[in-house]
Amino acid sequence: MAAVTLTNVVKRFGVFEVVHGANIDIADGEFVVFVGPSGCGKSTLLRMIAGLEDISGGDIAIGGKVMNDVEPADRGIAMVFQSYALYPHMTVEQNLSFGLRMNGNPKPDTERRVKRAAEILRIDELMQRRPKQLSGGQRQRVAIGRAIVREPQVFLFDEPLSNLDAELRVQMRVEISRLHKELGVTMIYVTHDQTEAMTLADRIVVLKGGNVEQIGRPLDLYNDPTNRFVAGFIGSPKMNFIKARIVGRDARGVVVELAGEEKTRIVQPLAGAAPEPGSKVVVGVRPEHFGNAGEGDADIAVAIDVVEHLGGTSFLYAKTANGEDVVIQRDAAKVPDTSEIIVSIRKSYLFDEKGLRLR
Amino acid sequence: MTSRSQARLGRSVLLHLFLTPLALVWLFPLWMMVVFSTMPDNGIFSPGIELLPHDNFLDNVANLQRDTNFIGAIGISVAVAVTYTVLSVLLTSMAGWALARYEFHGKGAVVAIIFGTITLPYAVVLIPQFIMVARDFALANTWIALIVPPLFNSLGVLFMRQAFSMMPAELFDAARVEGVKEWRIFLFVALPLARPMLAALAIILFLASWNNYLWPLLINSQPGAMTAPVALGTLIGLTKVSWGGIMAGAVMLTVPMLIVFVLLQRHFIAGIAAGAVK
Amino acid sequence: MRTQNATAYRFLTPYLLVFAVFWIWPIVSSFLISFQATRTVPWRFAPTFNWGRLIGDPAFYNALKNTLLILVIQVPVMISLAIVMAVLLNSPLLKARGLYRFAFFAPVVVGEVAYSAVFRLMFSLDFGIVNKLLESVGLAKIDWFSNVTPAMALIMIAVTWRWAGYNAILILAGLQSIPEDVYEAATLDRVSKLKQFLYITLPLLKPVIVFCAVLSIIGTMQLFTEPFLITERGGPGGGTETLGLLLYRQGFRSLNFGYASAVAYTMAGLAIAITLVQLWLTREPK
Ligand SMILES: Nc1ncnc2c1ncn2[C@@H]1O[C@H](COP(=O)(O)OP(=O)(O)O)[C@@H](O)[C@H]1O
Ligand SMILES: [Mg+2]
Repeated sequence: MAAVTLTNVVKRFGVFEVVHGANIDIADGEFVVFVGPSGCGKSTLLRMIAGLEDISGGDIAIGGKVMNDVEPADRGIAMVFQSYALYPHMTVEQNLSFGLRMNGNPKPDTERRVKRAAEILRIDELMQRRPKQLSGGQRQRVAIGRAIVREPQVFLFDEPLSNLDAELRVQMRVEISRLHKELGVTMIYVTHDQTEAMTLADRIVVLKGGNVEQIGRPLDLYNDPTNRFVAGFIGSPKMNFIKARIVGRDARGVVVELAGEEKTRIVQPLAGAAPEPGSKVVVGVRPEHFGNAGEGDADIAVAIDVVEHLGGTSFLYAKTANGEDVVIQRDAAKVPDTSEIIVSIRKSYLFDEKGLRLR
Repeated sequence: MTSRSQARLGRSVLLHLFLTPLALVWLFPLWMMVVFSTMPDNGIFSPGIELLPHDNFLDNVANLQRDTNFIGAIGISVAVAVTYTVLSVLLTSMAGWALARYEFHGKGAVVAIIFGTITLPYAVVLIPQFIMVARDFALANTWIALIVPPLFNSLGVLFMRQAFSMMPAELFDAARVEGVKEWRIFLFVALPLARPMLAALAIILFLASWNNYLWPLLINSQPGAMTAPVALGTLIGLTKVSWGGIMAGAVMLTVPMLIVFVLLQRHFIAGIAAGAVK
Repeated sequence: MRTQNATAYRFLTPYLLVFAVFWIWPIVSSFLISFQATRTVPWRFAPTFNWGRLIGDPAFYNALKNTLLILVIQVPVMISLAIVMAVLLNSPLLKARGLYRFAFFAPVVVGEVAYSAVFRLMFSLDFGIVNKLLESVGLAKIDWFSNVTPAMALIMIAVTWRWAGYNAILILAGLQSIPEDVYEAATLDRVSKLKQFLYITLPLLKPVIVFCAVLSIIGTMQLFTEPFLITERGGPGGGTETLGLLLYRQGFRSLNFGYASAVAYTMAGLAIAITLVQLWLTREPK
């Protein structure tokens, strides 16, 4: 059992700095997901924790012990790779036991661990097959099994589901959750898919361009993003961003006027200092936070381009009077047949020009 | 028959009409080697045209053995080629592994020197190698002289570097996370996966050693130390030798390789073709 | 990747040792030797001794001329032949492909000594099968070994026979790496087969062909065994003596290491020049 602590962790490849001082505290037994767009440094961070990449600056501690110069095998971690990385020339059983055998682990203990992993993952039947004879989902199980066999204190997953089809992905997601409950160990999981992050994580670390943007529980990130990037990244479909302008301040907060909607005012509660009247801001509205006319803080008129019916809900792709694209979520029953409608904004977020949340 | 399939048939006939004579011409020297090796000398040097094998092969082998200890030379050639192949595959695949799979100081320089000198003609190193091995180390006419100097050949480094760098990196990382030592990763993960490439490389290296002529000619010129090609070469141009015997020797050098070629054609061609994908 | 100096050098060192001792050092050493007078004991530094002699040596010019002559005739003929072989072997219309492949590729495994012996016998004046066949169709027999022109032709024929298939293997590999759909698209565009070959196949094969040409040039430049064994030490009268043979004669018959090293470095200079031409020919368009 071990907590993982990253202190000012920096990574440089030659002159390129790709991680700019990450500070992350992961509690013992926690399931933490690193999420962010491709190339933001998630894998690099994970590989530094694993000991597969040198650490250019800062410290990584596992179970209270600084691990910067410790060999991967001695860090108490196990890792599951995106490509599964199964040894193609070995059977499933040999794959599971390879690491233990190579390190002279006593045979009965190796057999016990392999058996246990096979039971947990229900792959007993596949033990004599080679990776080539397995389906994607089965390979994934074997890869996880290989990690379990190590009986690690920390599991590391690098996009383990991204090579699976959509249905299997959901199924394996549930399995990984179950595994976490069963084993109760720390898990660090990397993905670019915010749905995976939301459904799996105790806490999410949102990364962008080598910087930690925000760390928090899934619903906290959803309800209370610190900036425009996190707001846009968490939630599906994405939050809509509409240009706006500060017009003043009243008792309840700042007053904002949407671009192209001179008569529409939104009042945002604001604890901090308000920007000058006239300064440009952005109002963020999630698709699910549009309501029927008159039901929210403000009404705006939009022109519908396309409607996507998903069954229970529908998405309206529309344009505001100012020509900005917005996506509106509706109950299927409430999709209008006219192309011009008025919708209300029931909940919104305010961001300054740099993308920082005003709150 | 449609006009399209008629046109195809026409082109196919034309193709075979052109290629068949060319192929026969190409096979002709090999065929004649076999035919000569089965003819007595007075048959070879007679006015008639003989295109079919006779039954004098074993006599010719005996003649050859009388002219030079060819069987002994074959023994040396086999032992040298096998040892050379094993050592070269081992050394070059280790080096190729390091270049493909590790970051280290001086990597750029090592790569630049190996690849930058690869097209220099072998002739350039011949004289210093000879001086070094024959004079400085006094190793002329030993097996070491035949086996060790040619190990410099960097073909295998190139070939195995390519082979190892095409394998997915995560495979080796997975083993590393499991605490498998680097040399065991090389031995038990990388090498087994590179088996087809190793086979191709081994075949090419074996062939090169088996057929090597110039270096063995220079360094091992004493009768008891000659390789088979050198021993055979000493007979060419002498007046009182059996040409049937020489041809029998040529057959013994060539036919085993032809059989290997037919059996392992795929590896063979892969080995040669890989030379082009630098 | 982590920086792993110790591990990497443990894997590298055995090879690097051999490589340094038997390749890098000799390259340097050969250069140094070419500036020394080596027939006195001890050797002494005499920068113009060998190179000066080389510039005025008719035997050097003869060997250089012969080598270049073989190069400019034999290499283009062989490469063209290899392209033809490769393209035809790649044709989907070909039946019994394995047999044809065997015929063209088999010489690749034949040793220089073995095939030199066969060629010598096949082309001998009175009893050689080639002359017998020439006479049987009413042609005059050719004295392949006593006259320079036929002797040179014989060397070129032998080398072409030995190496055309080798080059065909390389070109065939290049051909097979061209995706099929390029041709399908061209066919739909009504581009004739010949034009497909000229405007699709050849340009895509250019790097392989240039590579083959460079390999062949560097190989032929060092030609030794064929003139040594087939035309009997470069005969008739030095008419087929090549740079390789001159090096052998000077270095290992006369034990004139300094002069032989100068000859060797002449070859190296040519090889470097040719490699630079290759790099220029196959450079990526900016
Ligand atoms: N070995 C490497 N050498 C140089 N740059 C690298 C290397 N590995 C990753 N990078 C760069 O580091 C950044 C982060 O990469 P990575 O951690 O793989 O991103 P992610 O996993 O989030 O998609 C990328 O810009 C990538 O190009
Ligand atoms: Mg990644």
